[in-house]
Amino acid sequence: MSTKDESARVELLQGTLDLLILRTLAPGPAHGHAIAKAIERQSEDVLQVEQGSLYPALHRLIKRGWIAAEEGVSENNRRAKFYRLTAKGRKQLHLETTRWEKLARAIARILKPAEESSS
Amino acid sequence: MTRRRRALDGLEEDIREHLERETRDNIERGMSPADARAAALRKFGNVALVEEETRAVWRRPWLDQLLQDLRFAFRVLRRDPAFTAVAILTLAVGIGLNTAVFSVVNSVLLRPLNYPHPERLVWLGDYDTFVHRDMVMLSDFAGWRAHARSYNAMASFSYRQIAVANSRGAFPVGAVLVGGDFWAVTGAHPGLGRLFGPNETNTLVLSWDLFQRQFGADPRAIGSAVTVDGRAATIAGVLPKGFRFQFPRWWTAQHPEPVEAYLAIDQSDPKIRGRGGQAVASLKPGATIPQALAELNSIQRHLHPPRPGQPAPQNRLHIDALLDQLTGSAHRALAVLLAAGALLLLMASVNIASLLLARASARRRELAIRLAVGAGRLRALRQLLVESLALALLGGAAGLLLARWAIALLVRLGPQSIPRLDEASIDIRVLVFTVCISVAAGILFGVTPGLALWRVELHDALKEGARSSGGVFGLRIRRVLVGAEMALAVVLMTGAGLLFASFLRMNARPAGFAPERVLLLKIRLAGTQSNPAAQQGYRNELLRRLGSVPGVESAGISTQFGFSGAPAFPNDPSPTQTHVLHLNAASPGYFRAIGMQLREGRWLSDADQGGVVMLNESMAREAFGAVDPIGRSLSAPQPAVVVGVLADLRYSHLDADAPPEVFLPFPNRMTLGFDVAIRAASPPGVMPAIRREMAAIDPTVPAYDVKTLDRALADSIAPQRFNLFLLGTFAASAFVLALVGIYGVIAYSVAARTREIGVRVALGAGRGDVVGLVLREGMAVALAGIAAGLAAALALTRLMASLLYGVQATDPRIFAATASTLAITASLASWRPARKAAAIHPIVALRDE
Repeated sequence: MSTKDESARVELLQGTLDLLILRTLAPGPAHGHAIAKAIERQSEDVLQVEQGSLYPALHRLIKRGWIAAEEGVSENNRRAKFYRLTAKGRKQLHLETTRWEKLARAIARILKPAEESSS
Repeated sequence: MTRRRRALDGLEEDIREHLERETRDNIERGMSPADARAAALRKFGNVALVEEETRAVWRRPWLDQLLQDLRFAFRVLRRDPAFTAVAILTLAVGIGLNTAVFSVVNSVLLRPLNYPHPERLVWLGDYDTFVHRDMVMLSDFAGWRAHARSYNAMASFSYRQIAVANSRGAFPVGAVLVGGDFWAVTGAHPGLGRLFGPNETNTLVLSWDLFQRQFGADPRAIGSAVTVDGRAATIAGVLPKGFRFQFPRWWTAQHPEPVEAYLAIDQSDPKIRGRGGQAVASLKPGATIPQALAELNSIQRHLHPPRPGQPAPQNRLHIDALLDQLTGSAHRALAVLLAAGALLLLMASVNIASLLLARASARRRELAIRLAVGAGRLRALRQLLVESLALALLGGAAGLLLARWAIALLVRLGPQSIPRLDEASIDIRVLVFTVCISVAAGILFGVTPGLALWRVELHDALKEGARSSGGVFGLRIRRVLVGAEMALAVVLMTGAGLLFASFLRMNARPAGFAPERVLLLKIRLAGTQSNPAAQQGYRNELLRRLGSVPGVESAGISTQFGFSGAPAFPNDPSPTQTHVLHLNAASPGYFRAIGMQLREGRWLSDADQGGVVMLNESMAREAFGAVDPIGRSLSAPQPAVVVGVLADLRYSHLDADAPPEVFLPFPNRMTLGFDVAIRAASPPGVMPAIRREMAAIDPTVPAYDVKTLDRALADSIAPQRFNLFLLGTFAASAFVLALVGIYGVIAYSVAARTREIGVRVALGAGRGDVVGLVLREGMAVALAGIAAGLAAALALTRLMASLLYGVQATDPRIFAATASTLAITASLASWRPARKAAAIHPIVALRDE
């Protein structure tokens, strides 16, 4: 368990993590640690995830055929596994992103008046 | 590699790499290495758990469910050890017997020969009506080999026991005299030395075993000179260890020992060309058997042009695939065994289905609960199937153990006439077969109770005490199944009974015959006794010395040969009728030694030189009909006067009546080989003295085939004994299975009807009434099964008529004995449950339910 401030940490829903991985891999292949770092960085450390839970998610995506794993050599010349988006995964990313945006807009619209009245 | 394996491969490495990177990042941020590592681990979470969860992503749900079902199945099986043990044992017997039979089929019928291009190897047969087997004249063979174009190679061989003598002494060896391209047909290469070519003579090639045993594996033996039956010969080479003589061996009944020497014969020698042998060949690629046969027939017509005034020689040439020829006789017997094995396994499955049905009724509530809490019907059914499959595979494993033992027994008891039986073993094909029949049996006995449970009505089943509807359904099936078992048992027992009756008839012997006191041996004189006078001298000396051995009551010599033609017997309707005669030239002591009985006239004596004969009763009947033959003349084949008639005696084969036989005086016959019969109180006791006497006359002449007449007669029916043993085993198993089946079904029926019986007793039924009720139920099933079985047996036993001796295939006594045995034992099997039913106390019975 993370010892970070619990309130700042948002538990990631499984589907969300999948989407984030796909998004992270969109520019190009990356290894596991880089993916974890990227997610942390992009979400400005708000979406805090136990890095380990990345791995079941990666394998779930491989099983679905959305990403693929390849043996590669890292910058410090060591054997490392690189994950890359497949064509199927790219399509899925697009689909999920659209769905998320819709959902996020809907939620935002619901929450906005409440925010205004409380401020 | 599967996707799963590929994806999971290197997972640990991947995670380790991840942690190192994180640690490095932390160090760069200024942490100490230890803190950096701890922080990385904290941030990552539980490594083992992550690995576990990642693997879980790839797990197959059906496999998990199957494992779960299996675990549950084993729990169920463990919970009821008595049932499980009975079921596994029953299956082990059924599967084990089938596995053993199949391993024999596999080795005898399915495995190809160890020679190159076994599919091209053929048997060239010329059926001889006198010896009742294929025999090719070597002169014909030479003609075929010179002119036929359809063959790559053609070889002849004939069996002979030869005496090989070197400086260390003489020993008999089972050998074949080979001609033509024998080594080309077999594809053999020498292990040591060389193999002889088609035109060499008096050259010997040894088997590996013989080379080890008699020559001490001494390489100097290669190329050395030896004497073979008195002629000089050279040992050319030794065959490799794995080489085996795999051609058909008609002689195995008398000579079970393996072929261990190969002698090149002089095919230009007219004496040898007049002999018979067997022929095999390798067809050219593309040549077919019909083509090859047509060619052979035309050559044969050329070799034997029809002579004017004589009937055209009958042509009995045939060509068969070598494997078919090799397995021909075993084919049918094995088919019968496979069928019997299948029936037995069917019975075993039926019994287990029956037991499972009984249990299924008890488990209806368990099933109903599982259905009620949401298990799918299919899932529930699958659970049952997994249970039966687990049971079947356990039974199969036990069966394999049993089969290993049974195969060893089969190989030891099996007659030599089944080719390649000794190679039977459990190989991958047999294993696959065993797994397949186990699974098939498991599905068979798993589906029946499954179907009964399929109809489980939740509401009924959950109700207290409701067990009747499904129970009656199952009971009806079970009665039919047990009736079928009874029928199968009747068929197998009738078959075994007929074989047993034949076996008794075969072994019936007249008083005073006592074949266990008769010692037989064969002698073949070597080349040193090449003239009739020397042979006569040897025989006279032998008989004189044998007579002086203490313990010998009588001793004689004989030589048997055949004649086929039209000797024009007085009883013949036409003078051209042909007869096949067995001729036996024997010294006077021979008749006494064998134990023959005189019916009329007198014995042959030492004073008889020729022109007189004795007949056995069959011969007297065939030649003279009802007329008294004594003093009459007969052409057999030379004219002779009949001086005596002997009682028919089966002294060479037990599986057929004594053939018509003519006995002639022995003297002055030019023959190298003859049989010796010696009657003694203790045959093994006199044998050392006999060997000493023989060595004193001529140390290079050994005694072959030394055995008692009793043993020789037993060997003559070894195949029948083997059949009886096998069918008897099957019948006994079927008998036990049928009785277990009927006991099971009646006991279950009593248990299911406890309440009904309680009511009957409460209403005044006596113990006798209850016993009668149950017995009637058992006997109805048993008698219906027996009746059906008798009808089936009547139809099926006709097929085994050729296997019987002295018994009709429809012998009513055997049928009656089988039926009554089963009826009586079936009533005994129902007796225990009937007693139990009679002991039911109405109050207990009514409260219990």
